[in-house]
Amino acid sequence: MTDPSPPVSSDISDSSPAGTIPGVHLQTAVGAGVLLVAAGLAFGALGIPGDAGYGGVGPNFLPWVCALVLAVCGAWLVWEARSGGYRAMAEPSGGDRADWSAAVWVSAGLLLNAALITTLGFILSCTLCYVLAVQGLRRAAGQPQARAPRTWGVDVITGLCISAPVFWVFTQFLAINLPGLTDTGWL
Amino acid sequence: MEILDALMAGFATAITPANLLWALVGCALGTAVGVLPGIGPAVAVAMLLPITAKVEVTASMIFFAGIYYGAMYGGSTTSILLNTPGETASMVTAMEGNKMAKSGRAGAALATAAIGSFVAGTIATVVVTLFAPSVAEFAVKLGPPEYFMLMVLAFTTVSAVLGQSRLRGMTALFIGLAAGCIGMDQISGAARYTGGKMELLDGIDIVLVAVGLFAVAEVLYAALYEGRVKDTQNRMGRVHMTRLDWKRSIPAWLRGTVIGTPFGCIPAGGTEIPTFLSYAAEKKLAKGDNKAEFGRQGAIEGVAGPEAANNATVTAALIPLLTLGIPTSNTTAVLLGAFQNYGINPGPQLFTTSATLVWALIASLYIGNLMLLVLNLPMVGLWVKLLKIPKPQLYAGILIFATVGAYGMRQSAFDLFLLYGIGVLGVLMRRFDFPTAPVVVGMILGPLAEAQMRNAVSIGEGSWLIFLQRPMSLALIVIVLAVLIVPRLLQRRGRG
Repeated sequence: MTDPSPPVSSDISDSSPAGTIPGVHLQTAVGAGVLLVAAGLAFGALGIPGDAGYGGVGPNFLPWVCALVLAVCGAWLVWEARSGGYRAMAEPSGGDRADWSAAVWVSAGLLLNAALITTLGFILSCTLCYVLAVQGLRRAAGQPQARAPRTWGVDVITGLCISAPVFWVFTQFLAINLPGLTDTGWL
Repeated sequence: MEILDALMAGFATAITPANLLWALVGCALGTAVGVLPGIGPAVAVAMLLPITAKVEVTASMIFFAGIYYGAMYGGSTTSILLNTPGETASMVTAMEGNKMAKSGRAGAALATAAIGSFVAGTIATVVVTLFAPSVAEFAVKLGPPEYFMLMVLAFTTVSAVLGQSRLRGMTALFIGLAAGCIGMDQISGAARYTGGKMELLDGIDIVLVAVGLFAVAEVLYAALYEGRVKDTQNRMGRVHMTRLDWKRSIPAWLRGTVIGTPFGCIPAGGTEIPTFLSYAAEKKLAKGDNKAEFGRQGAIEGVAGPEAANNATVTAALIPLLTLGIPTSNTTAVLLGAFQNYGINPGPQLFTTSATLVWALIASLYIGNLMLLVLNLPMVGLWVKLLKIPKPQLYAGILIFATVGAYGMRQSAFDLFLLYGIGVLGVLMRRFDFPTAPVVVGMILGPLAEAQMRNAVSIGEGSWLIFLQRPMSLALIVIVLAVLIVPRLLQRRGRG
């Protein structure tokens, strides 16, 4: 019971090739990031009133605890990274190298969706998100047909076929407010 | 007798046509979600949380509960056939189940998983029915110091016991607690970490965090690292168990249930420990030829036991959720969020103030388990077809549902940007092996724990000694320390 996750990784790794554990520098950077978060929390905590009322514990208590604990954790993570790497790391799934261009496609889909949803309406904005994301994922999978106009066309139609019914079900049946391009409730 | 009457009243509510339909849709959706890679029960419930604005509370809780345990049934199908366990709970099933499938016994593995889930789920529901009311009665006597320490216990187990590294678990927990601080402080009304943004005054919604960390991060991660990973699917045989399979499965189901149920009842969460314990027990108890099958052709006990343990734990985990308001997993944390959306705080009073709701929910567990057995045994072939959806389309489609969940909650495009940011955080956490459950549990339980702590210190008139002066709270402190120290000592002894 001491170590609840024994031999799994070796047993199931045959079909999902594991990537290598990120390098020492990246690990240090993550530790430093945690330190930065801690500093940000501490800075923010300065602005929270500490008036404790009857208790002895004010609204700034927990923020300070979080800042201090995260500072310790961040420093510790940096130390672990510098002294041989994080302890007891599981190998991450997937490839060694990040496919950044695929991630850019997916990110563009998500961010454009966030920026345009109120102007374009849910259906069109989500279709755009779908088309861009699926393009990125197709390229990541190395599909040769990803760039073909026909694939783009199919993706646009698929995107519409998912987002339109979703929009109708949620707005008409469940009365959830989602933005439309028009006020009709159908587009 | 009282319990039986209440349960019957619960059944009366649960079997109205509308509620039965919600249960059926929930179970079907849950199975689909469990089968599909890249999306789990926590995120499915989170994406659908906006419906709490319109759908009546009993119906939506029945619906969410259906998703919750439906996913457990579906998850085993994927891990047996695909060799990529959707969630930690089915990791053990993947070990033996996949070996069985590779040697042409997928049908028997699927059958023992589904029937075992049914047996364990039903027995654990009986335990919930019998014991939850008495736990609630006992819990009424607990004051803020005890509640706070119970929550600390939940924090400790979710961050320090589960997962590989205590340090990374703690980091994740405190990031969750810090995220829970954002917004208006509920006792004093002071704004914390809002940076003057109105959108942040209400805090960060649990939907955003769950959907961002699980769905968006999953899609980004797939694009970044998993494009070239090819899944291999095992052939499915006829779903059938021989007489010998039954003979070997039944004791394993029962042992799994006995191991799993207590783990669900204590606010210590996680299905990893009970499923691994059950696996180890089955391996140890097996004799002769059966023992030789472990790790080679795949032993049916190695699927039956852990699957039963898994479902028993998941069902029994409703006891701490309903009676104490303490979630011990991602999904129960999101379920707690669903209750909060209705202004209901699960806890000992729930059984008196919302008796109809609670008993209808418990009754729906019995009904749901039966529905799931039907959905998963004769119809398993249908669900397996879902595995044919190509990954790019599936993952891009998930983003559309993620948008519904994140935007539908507060109608704010700002939340969609935040969602993306949380998704990026999720990718980092996954690559660097930080557990995510502590973030979600910390964020949802953090504000409650903070309120209990501040009330407790008020009761102690500003003195922290209050936590040591009350016997229950002192006992809980000892348990927390034991949870932290004992495994380490055992480890050291094991090495020495």
